[in-house]
Amino acid sequence: MAEFELDTHPGRRLHLLLFVDVKNSRGLVQAMQAGTLVPELAFFNASLVPDTFPVLAAAHKAVLSQTRGSLVTRTLHSELIYNYSGSKHITEALRRSGINESSTYVLVAHFDGTPDEIEATRALVQGSEISLEELLERADHPLILKHYKITPAELEISSLADAITCRIAARDAI
Amino acid sequence: METPATNNNNNSVLQRSVAMRIIKQGAEARVFESTFMGKKVVVKERFSKKYRHPVLDSKLTLKRLYGEARTLAKARKLGVATPALYAIDFVTNTLTFEFVEGTSIKDILLQSAPLPSPDGKLEEIASKIGRTIARLHDGGLIHGDLTTSNMLLDDKTGQLVLIDFGLGSTSTLPEDKAVDLYVLERALLSMHSSIGPLMSLVLAAYNKSSKYWSSTLNKLAAVRMRGRKRVMVG
Repeated sequence: MAEFELDTHPGRRLHLLLFVDVKNSRGLVQAMQAGTLVPELAFFNASLVPDTFPVLAAAHKAVLSQTRGSLVTRTLHSELIYNYSGSKHITEALRRSGINESSTYVLVAHFDGTPDEIEATRALVQGSEISLEELLERADHPLILKHYKITPAELEISSLADAITCRIAARDAI
Repeated sequence: METPATNNNNNSVLQRSVAMRIIKQGAEARVFESTFMGKKVVVKERFSKKYRHPVLDSKLTLKRLYGEARTLAKARKLGVATPALYAIDFVTNTLTFEFVEGTSIKDILLQSAPLPSPDGKLEEIASKIGRTIARLHDGGLIHGDLTTSNMLLDDKTGQLVLIDFGLGSTSTLPEDKAVDLYVLERALLSMHSSIGPLMSLVLAAYNKSSKYWSSTLNKLAAVRMRGRKRVMVG
């Protein structure tokens, strides 16, 4: 688990928790779709996340939209998943960057969490929590390159995390 | 230098609560140093021009903001090093970039003795410039403002990093590529003439790496004769 201060939005924070062998994805997806999750959470397909920085860039965008009242998805947490995907197609974005009923490797994000909420999150997700340090090693690199259309030439001059972040940032311009 | 820049713009980036330090002020934009998710970043704010009609002004500002982000993304896909883009804000008209620790080619050249350089460093830089521009042009991108202050040498990787794609565009016409090179040639002549014939080294490297060097170089000869602007008669 790690807690991040969103320095562009003082006072706002993001917690990230990484799980393997998650057994109740089906239940999590259903609760999420019914809007009955307490606390409200964002579930990433962690295979697409090689680093926390692009997630934080997506979080910055989500909080900015929220403060301006311009969220395009239903909640701040779904906006985070949508932003991370770098796509403009909401359904597609949530399907790819979010989890499905058979996901087992899941990154959980929660905004402005209290210690109680973090404990509740741990109780909700039936899996083993591991360190965020493992993100890079466990990421599905070929899938990331395909999803974000990253060329080999780009990786000569950029890290994978920066390549993803550029797409998250530039989405609205393209 | 802590400069609390004057704020006459309602949507100014300065309303952000993160500490911002102005590092450059140009005709089109202000550039600040700041932090973004714990990383050191550069924030470029395009400001509105009060002398322009407000509708035209907001359209132009937005179009250039879009354009810069798009050209930068394309350049990176081609393998041309640029600062990574971390955020765009269409309300404050700002772009947030990675802060590249490096030295501008302008500063390097101003501090160098004339060619040939003893360690071959200048020759190496010239060939990097030529190869980088060739990569950009072969991919159909025009930088639009190739000057030595828009090129950095990254301290960590030694890569040539291009900045400021604000005048960038997409084009595969030899004319546009030739004008791009011509702007650099003029910049080298006016700022760095004491260094010697650096441009010929740049062009030699360009010729070696570009597939379309022949048509571009022919056009460059024509552009040299008439200048950057095309003659429009009849």
